[in-house]
Amino acid sequence: MDASALIAWLEASRVATAIRNSLYLFPLIESVHVIGLTLVFGTILIVDLRLLGVASTRRPFSVVAADGLKWTWVAFAVTATTGALMFVTNASTYYHNIYFRTKMSLLVLSGLNVLIFDLTARRSIYTWDEKPRAPRVGRIAATVSLVLWISVIFLGRWVGFTTSSQPATEPGVNLEQLENLIPK
Amino acid sequence: MHQFADWLSKTPLSLAIQTREWIIPTIQSVHIVGIAVVMGSVFMIELRIWGWVGRDQTVAQTTARFGPWLIGALAVLLVTGAVMVVGEPERELLALSFWLKMILVAIGTVVAVTFQRAVEQRDRAWETAIAGRRSVSAAAIVVLLIWFGVIVLGRLIAYDYVWGSWSLKG
Repeated sequence: MDASALIAWLEASRVATAIRNSLYLFPLIESVHVIGLTLVFGTILIVDLRLLGVASTRRPFSVVAADGLKWTWVAFAVTATTGALMFVTNASTYYHNIYFRTKMSLLVLSGLNVLIFDLTARRSIYTWDEKPRAPRVGRIAATVSLVLWISVIFLGRWVGFTTSSQPATEPGVNLEQLENLIPK
Repeated sequence: MHQFADWLSKTPLSLAIQTREWIIPTIQSVHIVGIAVVMGSVFMIELRIWGWVGRDQTVAQTTARFGPWLIGALAVLLVTGAVMVVGEPERELLALSFWLKMILVAIGTVVAVTFQRAVEQRDRAWETAIAGRRSVSAAAIVVLLIWFGVIVLGRLIAYDYVWGSWSLKG
């Protein structure tokens, strides 16, 4: 199965059809996506600012990270799930959207950044855990993380502004919805 | 309100925003970054009240760490929100979602400021007794739900038809 067939199959799936045919589902899924992403970025910001020596500097890095990052993962699961639901609703539109593609690429880079951090600065954590700021490699990782995540938020908004084929922008013109009202 | 929105949309400042297509998405993105700071701060204070994180810190220390960021982010949200209202008066001012959101924002802000003052003034009492009260834990859930509601209503401004005839857009 090539990519375009997969995209078409996703878009024709029952989940995607149900979301498209509902006036309320897409806005609600989008709202939960925003709740999730604010908690993802909010908790990551706390950890990055600790690495940079800007805030929470009197607490060991390991404690700040443990408090924040487990919630990052919970919130990320929520954001990814709702994001996937929005994607399948208009899969072909998003798949070809340059902002969407860039956003996904930056998310991958963000994951690589975490991996690099774990393989470098985190290995020597016992030497700097209680210091007010991380060594240079840790501060670079924090800066890269902040730039990537803020870019992801901006790109997400641009995806919304450039994919106008959202479902049911006007209740009056949603023909599929009207058809469902006709008794069969 | 229709007249006011109409007048506002014809002011030079509003027209300046309308004619530059990049401004609204940029301001919205900054607005979301601001909401993330609010949510991260509120969430960490709530989790500390429930005793789920930061037990090496007192409630007062946690509030001192996140309170100023919360208030600072709210100021950023006020400014970016104002730019959106001026740039798209009809979209915002005629949306029921917008006004419901403003009510929740007002409640959330008053609660945040009152809470921070209460904790500053009675630091030790909070640590030894108040934070453990069931009513305080329950209030923390309500506060978190208020901010969730702010986000949902904020997004629903773009889909105000969900309110049917309640929407001022008619």
